[in-house]
Amino acid sequence: MFRHNTLRYVALILLAAGALFQAFTAEYFGLEILTEILILAMLVLALDIVAGFGGMVSLCHGALMGGGAYAYAIFTTKAGIAPPVAMAGAIALTGAAAWVIGAIGSRSHGIYFIMATLAFGQMAYSYVFETPIFGGDDGLGGISRLDLSFIGVDLNDSRSFALFCLAVLGTVYGTSVVILRSGLGRSLTGVMHNEQRMRALGLTVWRVKADVFGLSGMIAGLAGALAAQHIMYISPGLLSWTVSGEALVVVILGGLGTLVGPLIGAAAFVVLKHELSSVTTYWHLVVGVILIAVVMSRANGIFGWIEARWGDRLDRRLADATRKTEEVLTDA
Amino acid sequence: MLETRNLDKSFGAVHVTRNVSLKLERGERRVILGPNGAGKTTLFNQLVGELTPDSGSVHLAGEDVTALPVAKRARRGLSRSYQKNTLFDGLTVEENLGLAAAVHTGHATRLWSDSLSKPEVREIVGEVAEQVKLMPFLHAKVSEISYGVRRQLEVGVALATRPLVLLMDEPTSGVGPEMSKGFHDLLNNLPRDLTMLIIEHDMDLAFDVADTITVLNYGEVVFDGLPEKARGSSLLKEIYLGSWENA
Repeated sequence: MFRHNTLRYVALILLAAGALFQAFTAEYFGLEILTEILILAMLVLALDIVAGFGGMVSLCHGALMGGGAYAYAIFTTKAGIAPPVAMAGAIALTGAAAWVIGAIGSRSHGIYFIMATLAFGQMAYSYVFETPIFGGDDGLGGISRLDLSFIGVDLNDSRSFALFCLAVLGTVYGTSVVILRSGLGRSLTGVMHNEQRMRALGLTVWRVKADVFGLSGMIAGLAGALAAQHIMYISPGLLSWTVSGEALVVVILGGLGTLVGPLIGAAAFVVLKHELSSVTTYWHLVVGVILIAVVMSRANGIFGWIEARWGDRLDRRLADATRKTEEVLTDA
Repeated sequence: MLETRNLDKSFGAVHVTRNVSLKLERGERRVILGPNGAGKTTLFNQLVGELTPDSGSVHLAGEDVTALPVAKRARRGLSRSYQKNTLFDGLTVEENLGLAAAVHTGHATRLWSDSLSKPEVREIVGEVAEQVKLMPFLHAKVSEISYGVRRQLEVGVALATRPLVLLMDEPTSGVGPEMSKGFHDLLNNLPRDLTMLIIEHDMDLAFDVADTITVLNYGEVVFDGLPEKARGSSLLKEIYLGSWENA
């Protein structure tokens, strides 16, 4: 079951403080990188829910995010739907698509589930690529951002948009925690640990998997709708399996099944990408070496490694300090 | 409460269940005996729906459940424990029981509320933990408790669904004599209206707990009756009990 220990709270506070500092002090390029991190963080949170807590390793989350981006773009640019309604529609649409994928894929496990999701993702990619209304290889441009001028916020300003994305990410993180701590989330964890027993207890396993996959798809769709607004242009590449693969790399790099780890992974991945790509065109090689090192170390990603060393120690020290304080207060 | 009619199952040329008809009344405690390979666990698997019989039917509380999948049979009140521990290893004892209780109370699929914090779930967890003597271990992870306690939890998880019929596949499998004695008390203290079907090799436990005994051999019912009659049956001594009587 998902729990917050002291280290996780500390990591969250540090991450939020770092993001806020960057949002208020960075110039345009820094704000663009921050927004890229925040949107990627939403996608990897969505993936961590299903892969880290449900054992459903998905290679279609890139397509779900791309689906959200295209749905938002089509709704706003072609159908003339207001951006808030378009966002809600994009989230609902990707959630429904993800629910269907989860329901169909729920009977398969391991490599077969991965392949099924890959197939769904590539089908979506091909469909978008070949269908004229989606702009083919040229993609779609002229995508507008949400209008929050009624509360005095101009989201066309990079700083405001980054802060908006940070607020959305905070909400997504909180929602993810609520999902994982709910009856549905607990059942999902039970299914990951022992699907046969959960079924023998009377649980309709496919439904739990489909429901959580649907919720995860909604988060991915939300990330997509924000990605479309961020760049204001989208292309089929957003639905490619490589986006799903990168998201999986980020989750593993950060720490599968920790929620906090993927946030760290997203920040590390985007910063590495921008820093290394300015030095060498072979930056993927460096990321690959780091990923291999993380996997071979048998630690659960960067955050898993930190948690294994300091997580329990921090909790013990905090408990000791609390006990001593109570003793002092009792003596006084 | 639980009835099978002419249940039959083969794997290729191997006939594992032959025309098995059983009838358990409400509150009856029946022990299934039989040598290894007699088809006891295969029969259990057909009762709960993990295996589909080639012919025959399974009835629970008067309803034909033969075509129902595992989860639906469980929701109608058929619960089982396994010969090999089938628990949620990374979770605590409380969480293990809570998962089962949440399914029974309908909280297992709810969003926005923690099933383990629900009073009806907590009540079942507390009651079952008392029944199977797990109160001292509630907050321990499964990986931190002994094998014997895990066997208790195995039964506890099955009990937490509040079943009408509880099927137990060798509940004392692998536990020592001391703990096995504890299981006698544990099973004898379960509610008297709970119907139980138990596969067991521990003869002391079988004769201590059973109201009736069924003996399977090569998938066929060769004895069905009271424990006293089972003790005196020469056929049973020949196929199964001989080693026990001589031990």
